[in-house]
Amino acid sequence: MSTYLLIDTSTSRTSVAIVGDGKTLFASHHDGALSHGEALPELVAQGLKLESRIDRVIVGMGPGPFTGLRAGISFAQSFALGRGIPWQGVCSLDAIANQISESDFIVAIDARRKEVFFARYTNGLRIGEPKVCQPSQLTAFDIPIYGEVSNQYPDPTAFIAIAESGATYFQPIYVRRPDAYPAPVGVKFRPMNQLDLVPIFSIEKSAYGKAAWTMAQLKEESAGKDRMYVVGEFEGELIAYAGVVNLAGTADVLTLTVADPHRRKGIGRELLRRLIDWSRTQKCEAIMLEVRVGNEEAIPLYESFGFIEISQRKDYYGPGKTAIIMRKELV
Amino acid sequence: MKNSDALVLGIETSCDETAVGIVAGRKLLANVISSSVDEHARFGGVVPEIASRAHLEAMPNVIAQALSDAKVSLKDIDAFAVTAGPGLIGALLVGTSSAAGLALALDKPLYGVNHLSAHIAVDSLNSDHKLNPAIALLVSGGHSSILEVTDLTSDVKTLGSTIDDAAGEAFDKIARILELGFPGGPAIDREAKSGNPDAIEFPRGLTLARDLVDHKYDFSFSGLKTAVSRYLAKTPSYLRADVAASFQEAVVDVLLMKAIGAAKESGIETLIIAGGVAANSRLRELASERTTKAGIQLRIPPMDLCTDNGAMVAAIGSLAVAKGLKPSQIGFAADSSSGISKPIF
Ligand SMILES: [Zn+2]
Repeated sequence: MSTYLLIDTSTSRTSVAIVGDGKTLFASHHDGALSHGEALPELVAQGLKLESRIDRVIVGMGPGPFTGLRAGISFAQSFALGRGIPWQGVCSLDAIANQISESDFIVAIDARRKEVFFARYTNGLRIGEPKVCQPSQLTAFDIPIYGEVSNQYPDPTAFIAIAESGATYFQPIYVRRPDAYPAPVGVKFRPMNQLDLVPIFSIEKSAYGKAAWTMAQLKEESAGKDRMYVVGEFEGELIAYAGVVNLAGTADVLTLTVADPHRRKGIGRELLRRLIDWSRTQKCEAIMLEVRVGNEEAIPLYESFGFIEISQRKDYYGPGKTAIIMRKELV
Repeated sequence: MKNSDALVLGIETSCDETAVGIVAGRKLLANVISSSVDEHARFGGVVPEIASRAHLEAMPNVIAQALSDAKVSLKDIDAFAVTAGPGLIGALLVGTSSAAGLALALDKPLYGVNHLSAHIAVDSLNSDHKLNPAIALLVSGGHSSILEVTDLTSDVKTLGSTIDDAAGEAFDKIARILELGFPGGPAIDREAKSGNPDAIEFPRGLTLARDLVDHKYDFSFSGLKTAVSRYLAKTPSYLRADVAASFQEAVVDVLLMKAIGAAKESGIETLIIAGGVAANSRLRELASERTTKAGIQLRIPPMDLCTDNGAMVAAIGSLAVAKGLKPSQIGFAADSSSGISKPIF
């Protein structure tokens, strides 16, 4: 058996424990969202006075507010480097979940900006990777929620068992991407003109099949009043387009489409940003859009801009294909 | 170990460079820098969250490379030093947490140090000249000040500083207007090489007789910035190289005018120029000319030690060890806006 240094800084609590041969030799914490950098070395120094021989370091990799989270991970990796011992990371939410004995529940912690990081646990197992959302969205699951709300924090002494079960991480579990995004390299954006309708129609067909707009619909939609269309070009070829309309003070996204080979490069994000910017210049109070249930690429993008699901429309995209209506306030 | 030969490892993460330096006393053994500047260039400035992510990712490799360059192992290190401020708080914390992890793992002293003091301290490396007293002109992206250095680790007095933009900031902004890219300092320096520095008469801020009453050693670059924008607006056929050269000349001229003035008036015969802008080739050239004329000894660190690096952090740590100063308390707080009056935390 060996002796472990266990660290978690994923919540407002900084926790440190030293466990040797299954026995907790030291466990202490400090509460304060902005003091991980100070509290962590102090706690570890206290612990090392009781047991200075450490064989392995395990650290909570989040999710959690980034600055505090990184203080813990940075400390852990350097401590291990200094001692020439291994380190590994685990999901911090798992160390809250292990304190709860129900069969179906959610663990959620503060993610700042009025959001929470969360994961769902069923029969002792985490379902998928942690995600971020607004607290109000969690109530839709209609199962108990634990975490900071119920004054429960990651218990680092649980890290050993979690690490042994194999779920380890070597990168922080950021969930969110940084606020700033590079503009997609080599992609030019410009207003749409009538000549673009031909390439748009061909992307439309391959992206939406039977649900695609016809050429006539495209012509009509793009010529309407109070709207703005923008296209993206790569090496002279049209690869993406988006449009938005101002309907009596509320903006409605008409389309946002990126040709398949160019997806996941931030082009959709750049288009959406332009639609939002335009809607603001029109003094719209909110912007709305529809997205198909289960569109795993688009929904996180919209959520990252602050769009919230407000309702669903059954059979919107054809029989059995439900649309989620999302809305973002602009004022 | 003799205190003056201590092996010190310094960590710097205040902005976008993840840097580790190792010194033995005043001898530089290693200086490794991993920069995320390319990732920021696309935004035209440093994005704190991207910088912090890059620090965490790069840190273990940068430490390992520095140890390998210095041909020492972590166990040999006598003391650790780390930038504790000023800087981006999220970025600083990656460095201070990493340094605390190393110091606690190896049970060695840790010095949290001021980034600005470190810029000046790097001048102590690889020479045995007397360090103090000196007038220091500290010019970087965030700072432009004239300092009287009686003792770098304990007694530094600010004689003057910028009342608006830092010199480096002015370079970045003008580079953006001229579409020369980010970071602006090297870009303007490059462009100015083919331009005429006397082509356009740009203003020298705070140099009128009435300014000298209250702002003798202070700088102001915002008027210069406005003057450049105005010039560009009313001169559609402007020559970019001439604008860059004339702008650069205006900055460099006023920096040196005031710094050399401070040296003359205080009777201190050494001028140290430090910080990122000290890598500017025109500043180096003109400083050398004018100090020679004024009979002042000029010291400027080599180019690669002017921009942010770990060697400078190790250097001030080493000076603190040599003086027998107490290490920082474990768990000291990083301070994003710390002033130079507190060189060691
Ligand atoms: Zn600097």
